[in-house]
Parts: sequence; structure tokens; C-alpha cells
Amino acid sequence: MTTTDYPSVIPSSCHPVRRVAVYGIGNILLGDDGVGPAVARFLNANLDFPDDVVVEDLGTPSLDLPGYLLDFDVAIFVDAVAADAPPGTVRIFTRDEIMAVAPGIRISPHEPSINDALIVLDFAGKGPRDVVLVGVVPQTLDGGVTLSPAVAAAVPAAAAAVIAELASRGLGS
Amino acid sequence: MSKRIVIDPITRIEGHLRIDVESDHGKVQKAWASSTMWRGIERILVGRDPREAWLFTQRFCGVCTTVHALASVRAVEDALTLEIPLNAQYIRNLILIAHALHDHVVHFYQLSALDWVDVTQVLKADPAKASQIAESLSEWPGNSAKEMAAVKTKVKALVDSGQLGPFAHGYWGHPAMKLPPEVNLIAVSHYLQALEYQRYANQVVGMLGGKTPHIQNVAVGGVQNAINLDSTAALNVDRLYQIKALLDKVIPFIQNVYVPDVCTIAAFYPEWFGYGAGVTNYLSVPDLPLDEKSTKFELPGGFIPNGDLSKYRPIAGQRDEAWRKAVTEDSKHAWYKGEGGLHPWKGETEPEYTDFQDDGKYTWVKAPRYEGQPAQVGPLANVLCGYAAGNPLMVKWTDAALAKISSIAKIHATPSMLHSTLGRHGARAVRTAVLSELALKQWQLLTDNITKGDATIFNPPTFPKETIEGVGFHEAPRGTLSHWVVIENGTIKNYQAVVPTTWNASPRDSKGLSGPYEASLLGNPIADNEHPLEVLRTIHSFDPCMACAVHMFDPSGNKVARVKVL
Repeated sequence: MTTTDYPSVIPSSCHPVRRVAVYGIGNILLGDDGVGPAVARFLNANLDFPDDVVVEDLGTPSLDLPGYLLDFDVAIFVDAVAADAPPGTVRIFTRDEIMAVAPGIRISPHEPSINDALIVLDFAGKGPRDVVLVGVVPQTLDGGVTLSPAVAAAVPAAAAAVIAELASRGLGS
Repeated sequence: MSKRIVIDPITRIEGHLRIDVESDHGKVQKAWASSTMWRGIERILVGRDPREAWLFTQRFCGVCTTVHALASVRAVEDALTLEIPLNAQYIRNLILIAHALHDHVVHFYQLSALDWVDVTQVLKADPAKASQIAESLSEWPGNSAKEMAAVKTKVKALVDSGQLGPFAHGYWGHPAMKLPPEVNLIAVSHYLQALEYQRYANQVVGMLGGKTPHIQNVAVGGVQNAINLDSTAALNVDRLYQIKALLDKVIPFIQNVYVPDVCTIAAFYPEWFGYGAGVTNYLSVPDLPLDEKSTKFELPGGFIPNGDLSKYRPIAGQRDEAWRKAVTEDSKHAWYKGEGGLHPWKGETEPEYTDFQDDGKYTWVKAPRYEGQPAQVGPLANVLCGYAAGNPLMVKWTDAALAKISSIAKIHATPSMLHSTLGRHGARAVRTAVLSELALKQWQLLTDNITKGDATIFNPPTFPKETIEGVGFHEAPRGTLSHWVVIENGTIKNYQAVVPTTWNASPRDSKGLSGPYEASLLGNPIADNEHPLEVLRTIHSFDPCMACAVHMFDPSGNKVARVKVL
């Protein structure tokens, strides 16, 4: 018996279909940090998703992120990623790569807390096991509400990467 | 010999905060609070349509989401003296309440409990005894011996794995950790339950707001929630009852788990009622408007000088003249051009960065002042104002919490002890309990109004050519929030957001008066300079939210959060 039985929720083993969250994370007021939300909005504008796939611009949930993952089996994040690559590069990170980066220490208060959220959920024994991050390398994170050209041009490619991740799991629109 | 300790960044908060203290003879003698990030949001808004300002301001932060949307529309509505339909007021109020219920629970369990709870001590706890203690404190059904044993097993597995997960790098075994092993086990068990329960409150926000974080349902003039008893796509009776079902689930958790836990933990650390007072001028604003003109409120607010509740002065509403004139922001010690106090309608945001100068400029936060005085904002201010005003729910829950602490600790806990680090935690729990009772009241008001046939949600705004000024206020989870707007010919000419954490994280002003964080740290004990847990206890009790900045996933990074003892 675990604490999950508290509210009377049907256990996830009774769901015949896996629930998927596609979350665009980032602050639209800080230039290319808004790429995650932009990709989520692009996906929703161009495609229809089945009921068990939630595609959302989650903005900056920070330390609240674990609560938004509790109901899902699969999570696909889209976010700006600091990497040694040209702006607009799209890179995929697996759950292991995400977990390897920051083992519990907050690198700084401006964490996406994706890894922190997964750590908390692991302790609670809940949330998605299958997690992937579609990262886009930013040009600038200065104040501003538009994406820089290289990053704006990468939005369709990042969206395609999300679709590919869904398709490879047998989920699709 | 005094030691300079720099904690940068402060973790388990929202945003960027650096705290410097000078410690001598085991006590803090001097302190600086510095926000290490600037975003210039206010400048992004100049020239824009005031009807969309809320979309941008709400993106300040996804943790205290909703609040900046509410303050923004209220500021523009105030400038226009626009009335808000009752349904819109009730819907906004429900969002305010539901968001606060979620936010305060997360703050206590996920953010600050680990300052007081030593997770590693759970391994020494007796689950049956823990269950007995928990069941003696509350009628909550989730405190069985089986439950406690399951949690202990989970913690043991975590510790045995060598990776403490979310509890890594905490101050385990610190001499200032005082809870018996069984109370640690109760707290960790409730930490896990809190993860489930806080989201029911958040689901209410999502249902009314369209989505959360960053709700989409507000508008200048009301809300966008279509109300139609005969439509499945609109807010109808079915939806209202779904909302009530969620509230009915979360309310017992708040009253029977969160409040008793705070009282229990406080009872084991009674000396912490003696630290962290700081600035005892308190500011809060009335909220939960009950009428279309926003002149009647469910909860009062005002100003208390020098901790003297008998001198409480209420603020009547957004149009209260004394309130409108009272607020200034001082940049003498902040990285902006200009020095002395400017009223927000005349406020400027021209950055001038120097490095960290102890006696010069050292932070991105301006120093807000109320009639020239620093003021503490937050649930403590809100509760003390409510208590001073004789608000029945505030009095009832404050007295109940103090009585519970008294009976567990075998002391006589009084309201004067609330001017402290623990007082802030206690007041946050009290406020949450008060709001949990008001949740169903607001729900009933909305349901009754809709079922009698009122479906109005919006009064359209029209903008004059001449310059108008408005201020929107909101008692957010972290305290008094105000947005000040100047609109000329229908576009934004100036916009200043004075957010709760600005009041609390305020640097010194032109007169050298410290802000609440800085003042609260003076005299704080520090048992171990390398592990300044006590500084974190006091700072976390304010629930800092410096507002989200960039947050990026860095695959190469393994930078360590450091405590530097200089």
C-alpha cells in the first residue's frame, strides 16, 4: 500500500493506453528561452492529437513540475539547451542523460528542474518512466518576446523531432 | 573575528537570490540580500495595448502564476474605473484561492520542510509509534502504521542506494535538527501525500483558467469563461460540481495534515519564535472582492506599524487615497540609475550595474517603501492584519494554531510570538486554512449566481485619449502585489510591478533602512559557518520568489552550488 491510493484514483495498470505529455518549457519573455512554448504552440496549431496525448506550453513551472507529470507514462520535453553547437541545433536527450547531469544539486535557481522533478518522482514511485528531452540551442536569452532567426527556423525541426519520438513509441496523430 | 559567508545561489526557492552575512560569535551581525538577475519586463510593455499586458506579466513566473495576470487586469480596470461582473469576480476569487492552496502546500512540504526535517533520521523511527503520534494530532485517515512503515521502507531503499535523490546535499545530522525520528517519519510521509493533494487544488486552477501554469481566462473587464447551463462546452453545473469535488478532496488535507504538521514542527523548535523578526511593519491588501465595484472584500488588509496591532490602519480598496500615495521605490543601493524614492507611476527602469558594493549598489531589487518605511509582506502580514481587524476566520485559525502549539510544546504561545521565522510558517498555514474555508463559500456564491440565470462575464473596456493612471493590487501567496500603469491614448506609457518579494528582499534605502530579509537575519544563530542551515531557515520562511529567469538544461554542466566562507 502506498500513498498513491489515497484519492480514489484508478491505478495506471487499468489504463489500456499510455498517457503522454508533450511539454514546452521556457520563458517567452527571455528571447530564445521561449523556444519550448513556441514548439508546443506550433504542434497544436498544425496537428490534432488523440485524447491521451497532451501537448502544452507549460511556461516556467520550476519547482511545481512534478505535479504536472503525475498522471503520465511518457513525457517529452522541449526546452532551450546550453550546448556547444550552433544556435538552432536540435538535440535529443534520453532520461539517463538528463539524470546524469545534475544529481540533486540545483546548479542554479534558474533550473528547469526537469532532473529535479524526475528525482522527486522517482522517490515517490510515480510519474513517467519514459522521458525524453528535445533540446534546441539558443542564440540569446536576453529580454525580448521574439525568437532569434536561427531558433525560429528550428521550430519545425524540433516539432518533427517530437513527432518522431511519438511515432517511434507507436503513438501518433 | 567576523566571518563573511556568501550563499549564492539560495536553493529551494524560485529565482535568483544571493545572501551575504557577517557572522561573529555564532550570530549574524550584518546581512545583505541581493537579487542577481534583471529582466526588464516593464520595458517590454511600453507601447503595447493595455488589454494584453496581463499575457506578458503573467510570464514573470510559472510558480506564482495567475497573480500577475490578476494584478495587471485590475490595474487597467482601475485606470478605467471599470466594473467587473459578479461571475467574473467569483471565478477570479476561486482561482486565487485554489492557486494559494496549491502553492502554500508545495512551499511547506517541498521547499521548506527539509530545513527542519532530517530525512536520514527516518531510519531510526518506529512506524507504529509514528502512527500513534500522528493519529493523536489529527483525524486524517492516512496515518496508519502500515503507511508509515511503507514510507520508512522507501527511505531506506533510497539511502541504501547511496543516492539521496531529492534529499541529497541537505544538512543531515546538523546539530540544529531537533525532531524525534518518528516526527521526521510523519513529515516525510506527508511530503509524499502533499505531492498528490496539492495538484487537486491546481486542477481547479486549470479548469477555470483554461490551463495552468499561465492561465488564459482573464480579460480587462472580466473573464473569458463562457457560462451556459445548457452547454457541455461551457461552465455549467456539471463542471461546477467537478470543481467542488476537487476542493472537497484537498480541504481536509490542509486542515488535518498541513496545519497540524506546521504546529507539531513548530512545537519542537520553540526557540525559533525568537529569531527572524526583522522589519515588523506589515503591509497587506484586502482581497476576494464581493461586489462589481471592488469595494467589499472577503479578507481585509492594511498597514501595521512596529508590530503594534492596535495601530492597524485598513486599506479600503484600490481607490484608497492613502494607499495610492504611499508607495515609493528607492534605487540608492540597487543597480538602477537614480537614487531616491520614486512613486511607481513615475518609476524608471534604467539599469546601472556596478559590481557588488557592500555600501553602494548591490542588487537588482529596488527598495519599496510604504510612507517611507520598509514593510514585510506575506501570509504573516495578511494574518496579522486579519487578526487586528477581527476577521472571524483569521482569529479562529490563528487561535487554534497557537493552542495546538501550546499543547504540544507545553508553552503558552501568543500572537506576539508570530513576529518570527516560525511565525511566518505558522501564518502561512493559518492563511491556507482560512482560504480552504472560503473556497466553498466562493463556490457557492458562483453556483447560486449562475443557477439564478446570470451569465454575464465581461464588461468591455474603452480607452480615452487622455492619460490615465491605475493601480491593481492582489494579496498573492507571497504577499502584497501591485501593478502600476500609466496609459496614454490607449497605449502603455509606463508600467511598474512592485512584487511581494521586492518588499521582502529589499536592499537598504537612501536612509540606510534595511529590508525584511536583511533585518530578519540579524541575531540569527549560526552553529556551523560551513553549513549555515539557520540562514536558510529564516530566508525560506519568507517563501522567496525572485521571478523566473532563464532556466536551461546544460548537458555539460556540473557546477556546484557553493557556500563560500571568506
